[in-house]
Amino acid sequence: MAVKIRLRRMGQKKAPFYRIIVADSRSPRDGKFIEEIGTYDPSTDPSTFKINEELAKKWLANGAQPTETVGKLFKAAGIEK
Amino acid sequence: MDKIYEQTMLFDFYGELLTEHQRSVYEDAVYRDMSLGEIAEERGISRQGVHDLIKRCDRILQDYESKLHLVERFARAKKTVAEIERLTLCAERPEETGAEAGEKADGMELRKMQESLQAVRRLSHELLKEL
Repeated sequence: MAVKIRLRRMGQKKAPFYRIIVADSRSPRDGKFIEEIGTYDPSTDPSTFKINEELAKKWLANGAQPTETVGKLFKAAGIEK
Repeated sequence: MDKIYEQTMLFDFYGELLTEHQRSVYEDAVYRDMSLGEIAEERGISRQGVHDLIKRCDRILQDYESKLHLVERFARAKKTVAEIERLTLCAERPEETGAEAGEKADGMELRKMQESLQAVRRLSHELLKEL
C-alpha cells in the first residue's frame, strides 16, 4: 500500500488552512486518513505551519511519499529523511 | 510556497465560473494536493492533459482577478479590520499598550484613546470606500 503525505484543505470559504495528513494514496477523496501530522496556515503573514517532527520522520522512514508542497514545508521545517 | 494558497483563494472567489469538469480537476489539485499523475490516472486522461487544464484554469482565474480584484480587495479589507481590532483594543486598555508607565497616566490615556478612535474612524471610511 502506497502511503502519501499530503495537504488537505480545511476551513471556511475564503479562509482556508490545510492539514498535513498521512493517507493511503488510493483514497485522496473519501476523506479517510491514517494520521494528521501537522497544519499549515498560509493566511497569516508570513504563513505558519506546525509539524509533529517525530511523526513526520517516522512516516518518511516508513516510505511515505510527501507531495511536492509538503516536501517544501518539511524542508522549511528542517525535516529531512 | 504559497502558490497553493493563491490558487485556493482564486478558486474560492471565482471557481463557480469554471466548467464542472475544470472545477473538479482543479479541486483535486488544490484542495486535495493530488499530483498530476494521480489525477490523470484516476480520470484516464494524460498527465499532459491535466497539466494543461490546470494551467488554463490558473490563467482563467487570474484573468478574473485582474479585472475584478476581489481577492485583493478582500485581503485589504481583512488587514484593515485587523488594524481596527488592534486599535479598539488599544482604546480599551491603553495601559497595556502604552510605553510610558505610571506618572502622567490619566491625561495621556485619554489622548491615546481619542487617537485610537480617530484612527478607527479613518480606517472605517477607507473600508467603505473600497466597497
